[in-house]
Amino acid sequence: MAVPYHLLKACGGIVFASQGTDIHSFGSNLEHISTWKYPLQVKSTETTAEKPAATTEPTAEVSASPTPEGPPAKRRRTEETKEETPKDQDATEEAAAAAPVKKGRFHRSPVQVANERPFINCLIATTDGRHLILTTGSDKTIWVLEHDGAGNLKQLSQRPMPKRPCSITLTHDNTTILSADKFGDVYALPLIPSSEPTSSASTPKPIPSRSATPSSSTTPGFKPQANEFTVHTRRNLRALENQRLTAEQVKQQKEANEAEKAQFEHTLLLGHVSMLTAITVGQAVSPATGIQRDWIITADRDEHIRVSRGVPQAHVIDNFCLGHEDFVKSLCILPGHPSILVSGGGDDDILLWDWLGGKLITRAPVLQHVKEITPEAEKVAVGRVFGYQTVEGETKVAVVVERVPALFIYTFSPETPLLQHTETISLPGNLLDVEYLQKQSKLLVTVDHSSSLIIIEGSTQTPAQNLPAGEDLKIEPQELQKLLYTTESLRKLSDFD
Amino acid sequence: MGPSKKNQKRTNDENAPVKKNKKQKREDYRAAMREEGVSTLPRKKFYRQRAHANPFSDHQLVYPPHPEQMDWSTLYPEYVVKGSEETPAEETSESTAVIPKLLTQDVEVADIGCGFGGLLVALAPVMPETLVLGLEIRVSVTQFVEDRIKVLRHQNPGTKLYQNVSVLRANTMKFLPNFFRKSQLSKIFICFPDPHFKARKHKQRIVSTTLNSEYAYVLKPGGIAYTITDVPDLHEWMVQHFEAHPAFERVSEKEQEADPCVRIMRMETEEGKKVERNKGQKYVALFRRLEDPVW
Repeated sequence: MAVPYHLLKACGGIVFASQGTDIHSFGSNLEHISTWKYPLQVKSTETTAEKPAATTEPTAEVSASPTPEGPPAKRRRTEETKEETPKDQDATEEAAAAAPVKKGRFHRSPVQVANERPFINCLIATTDGRHLILTTGSDKTIWVLEHDGAGNLKQLSQRPMPKRPCSITLTHDNTTILSADKFGDVYALPLIPSSEPTSSASTPKPIPSRSATPSSSTTPGFKPQANEFTVHTRRNLRALENQRLTAEQVKQQKEANEAEKAQFEHTLLLGHVSMLTAITVGQAVSPATGIQRDWIITADRDEHIRVSRGVPQAHVIDNFCLGHEDFVKSLCILPGHPSILVSGGGDDDILLWDWLGGKLITRAPVLQHVKEITPEAEKVAVGRVFGYQTVEGETKVAVVVERVPALFIYTFSPETPLLQHTETISLPGNLLDVEYLQKQSKLLVTVDHSSSLIIIEGSTQTPAQNLPAGEDLKIEPQELQKLLYTTESLRKLSDFD
Repeated sequence: MGPSKKNQKRTNDENAPVKKNKKQKREDYRAAMREEGVSTLPRKKFYRQRAHANPFSDHQLVYPPHPEQMDWSTLYPEYVVKGSEETPAEETSESTAVIPKLLTQDVEVADIGCGFGGLLVALAPVMPETLVLGLEIRVSVTQFVEDRIKVLRHQNPGTKLYQNVSVLRANTMKFLPNFFRKSQLSKIFICFPDPHFKARKHKQRIVSTTLNSEYAYVLKPGGIAYTITDVPDLHEWMVQHFEAHPAFERVSEKEQEADPCVRIMRMETEEGKKVERNKGQKYVALFRRLEDPVW
């Protein structure tokens, strides 16, 4: 099954489009230049699924996986089922059915991890276009590629993160990657990793993550948490005794794991107790000092948009932009209007904020325009709000709504200030991503459709010709759908107490 | 939220018919409490709930999208600004912002994970001019505290006693900023939180450096975060995570012991009493919210 292009990024005259785990580069007329391939294709589903699943050892990872995981990460299944989209569940069930793994209390099966497919889920570039940064879902890895300016990519680094990154961005000086992950933490990584491997423990004063236990991060060795005063029942006392007996073993295991831990510089900046969905960096003149400063703006599944200061004061929350009543999925600082933030997600509207003041400026309806295309729509899942500035100097916002075959364009009028819907562009397939080609002042979209790249100029739509035949991934249509459409699954369904 | 409350479920299963009876009794009792039961204090046995709640799951919670849309009037009826009562909040139909009735003053003290409300009830007469709010994630337990406060208010007619405390069901790990504005609180109590002994559950602990940023956000500079636990390792964890946060500094022992709230926290919380009965240790740590550096 052919995978459509699902993410777009323009760097100068070059356009990058991701297709599954590949990145294709195109020239200004969408002629194909080159393809960067995910280097570990051997680690595809088939090879690992055939591996005997007899190993009950919980640490048994896929051998080719570039993810050396510390102790917290191996408990992923419990987490995934809770917070994750149903995406992984089917795969998990299949795996469980295929391999008769003895289901322990925690259902620890290495196959479940193996069956997740790497898939590019973020694609950004430095402002000079010289570096491309992408993340792949299943292996939690951040990749930095060097771009020679003519469309050729060279891999510079791959860094497996402690948890799956959901959104990445760069600071304004283009030297630091900020990665927001599913666990709710934001990490800072240098764009170019320093040559000597530095373990995170050696950095001056690291903030412990919620996932870091004191035993693994500070105090050496394991110590039972309870004592005779805190447990009272006979059974609990016996359990405590067992804990003490196994303490030595656990300690040894920890030391072994410690050696495998991520050996690159990454600093925890801040964290939400919720899955992060978007991160962006805002720049403004500080009201207190008059100096131009960065702020880190993060959005989560629990309707919050948080405005924290930039490094090194990322622990200070200056504000929240509150007003969403469903998950937030996408954030965008309006180009040309650095004080204005647009956010979209599970709400019927997109919201316009004065982010530094934490004030809602206005809302612009989305659902009502989606109904003009798909009348049966009752809810919308805004996958992306994308701001761009036209040659005429107008600031526009293109809105990608999941599973809707149209692009919605809003125009920002700074005087009022107001965000006005000005155009709906019908497309031959569900819109996946949008990019603005500055030099040609054209919109480029990709749709869930065989010839998926389309240039939009005024009212004419020109599908790109001679696209490279994508690798025919052995992927079920349902699985592909789940990989492509991840927004709606953020909506909360459960209604238990 | 003590460490050992596990064996109740088992006894329930063994006598299935009794259990049903119990459930029925429980419901009847609570219904009676809701309606007119204002003469006697509620009894805990009708409100028991397992000690742990998963803070990461999507509970069916009610919370305002923004602190300004929080309706405090039902929680503190005695403090509603006179004259603002005429504008009923119901007339606004859909997503248009509801402007709730105003209170004469803001909530300034929060008891996060208030449990059965021992601290709230003890604090009410000590700080009569301050609004104190308990936050609890477990439904039944919240109801108990609600009923308890209702009865206490009823038993003290004509006075403002207990009118300044109230309780709310909430997941504070996720939704604290939905209830409180920046720098609104002067005190936060975190009393005997769930210790989450297993390393894999540590991420559910209510104190962590990243989450402390939110406590710092709602606390005003100079405000104090109070912690107490009977689990030494949790105490160490809380101290470690608060001290790692640049916005907090540990309050000196001398100052700590001079604080009247510390005594109440030690002796009046339900868990505090229980630990006392079991002759356990109690570990107290206070942290002061520092002024933010300029940016």
